[in-house]
Amino acid sequence: MAGKVLTITSGKGGVGKSTSSANISLGLALRGKKVVTIDLDIGLRNLDMILGLENRIVYDVVNIVEKVCKLNQAMIKDKRTDNLYLIAAAQTRDKSAVTAEQIVELTEELKKDFDYIILDSPAGIEGGFKNAMMPADEVIIITTPEISAVRDADRVIGILESNNKTEMSLIINRINPELVKKGDMMSKDDVLQVLNIPLIGVVPEDKNIVSYTNTGEPSILHSQSESGLAYKNIIQRIMGENVPFMEINEKKTGILTSIINFFKE
Amino acid sequence: MLFFPSMEKVLIKGKNFLGFEIDINENDIKSITKELQIVLASSSHLIKNTIVTLKLNSKNQLFAKDIINFLKERGISINAVVINDKNSINQEDIPPVIELKNTHTVTSKEEHTATYKGNLRNGQSVKANGDLVIVGNVNSNSYIYATGNIFVLGDLYGIPHAGYGGDEHSVVFAFSLHSPQIRIGDFITRSPEEEANTSVKNSKMNEPEVAYIDNNNIVINSYREWIKLKE
Repeated sequence: MAGKVLTITSGKGGVGKSTSSANISLGLALRGKKVVTIDLDIGLRNLDMILGLENRIVYDVVNIVEKVCKLNQAMIKDKRTDNLYLIAAAQTRDKSAVTAEQIVELTEELKKDFDYIILDSPAGIEGGFKNAMMPADEVIIITTPEISAVRDADRVIGILESNNKTEMSLIINRINPELVKKGDMMSKDDVLQVLNIPLIGVVPEDKNIVSYTNTGEPSILHSQSESGLAYKNIIQRIMGENVPFMEINEKKTGILTSIINFFKE
Repeated sequence: MLFFPSMEKVLIKGKNFLGFEIDINENDIKSITKELQIVLASSSHLIKNTIVTLKLNSKNQLFAKDIINFLKERGISINAVVINDKNSINQEDIPPVIELKNTHTVTSKEEHTATYKGNLRNGQSVKANGDLVIVGNVNSNSYIYATGNIFVLGDLYGIPHAGYGGDEHSVVFAFSLHSPQIRIGDFITRSPEEEANTSVKNSKMNEPEVAYIDNNNIVINSYREWIKLKE
């Protein structure tokens, strides 16, 4: 099996890298792919919590590269599917505990047994990000429709380009159609005009994400949620299926309210 | 003469290989000598003992001999005369004549033009000797430098520095100009505060714009208006 290394990164922090990593990993696994996901945010790990696997960590990625444990000892099997494994980040160390070469070596080893190796990159453009970038076959960039997040994403794309990582795609996270309509938020097209890379998904703002994260149940498990649906489409696109982009509209209003509003105006 | 309008009646210009050129755009011999005197007062020490050419138009070329003698009296010898049509001038007693039939001098100043294809991303920069043409967008927090003019065939959100090294005749052109700061020669200007961060709103109503120096200020004008000023 020749697996593919998929790095998820953003530049700016707090735009939804780990949430997206969790959803993409779990989504691919639920579609029958063999997936291992590695949390490279060493020192600030979160992915284990978002996936609800916090209490199962014994060994972590630093233990693997320092050969404290065997590779399969550090792979935590997901509780919902046999196809997903997590390699957690070390919490008592920092980004300098591993080198990019060690991560490349690790992913090469994992490629033999898995379809997808998902690397959850830390925020920033320093060592931790380089560790996640070097092994990547494809990079998914997460941004929110805010100028600061888009600029950071732009910076990251520039660095990726100069490292010959040209297989890139974009997820625009947390888009709020009402604000876009009012002109207070960048639209999908505004973001694309700046970043100019292929779009792989648009995830609407979903207030339930907080509770999904807290309970360790990514939104892809909640098929009725808008964000879950958006991630489902992203999974299909990653797997090479052609899915039309869903229209993200304002909350539907009933006919009666529309008529009342019409007369109010 | 697209970029260096010579509204002045008499102009002394540096030429890369030719030393200096005295460009005369006035047809009356009295005001020519008057203007020459003013110009030479400040710069005759620079052009003495260098190669100097004299550029005339079809009207004032009648006074070629007078002008040459006038300059000779002030220690400046003309090495050649540049005119549009060789046959229209009496070539006796004057230095060799260079014919410039319908030539544009647009490229006389620029050494060469560099072209960059692709988007310039946050944190990246490009430097060029001479003119710089960017075929793509220049995003926020990127920097572009050129000793000559800068032309961005796309959206310009980064910071341009035209005339890097001090050429104040350089211009910055962009299909859509949004830079928070523009630098030309030794001048810097920044966008008005109320216009900052307009990239979310009304980014659609754009037209090509040019930034250039006018009266020791960087001014931004629509390309349409700017090109009229050049004519």
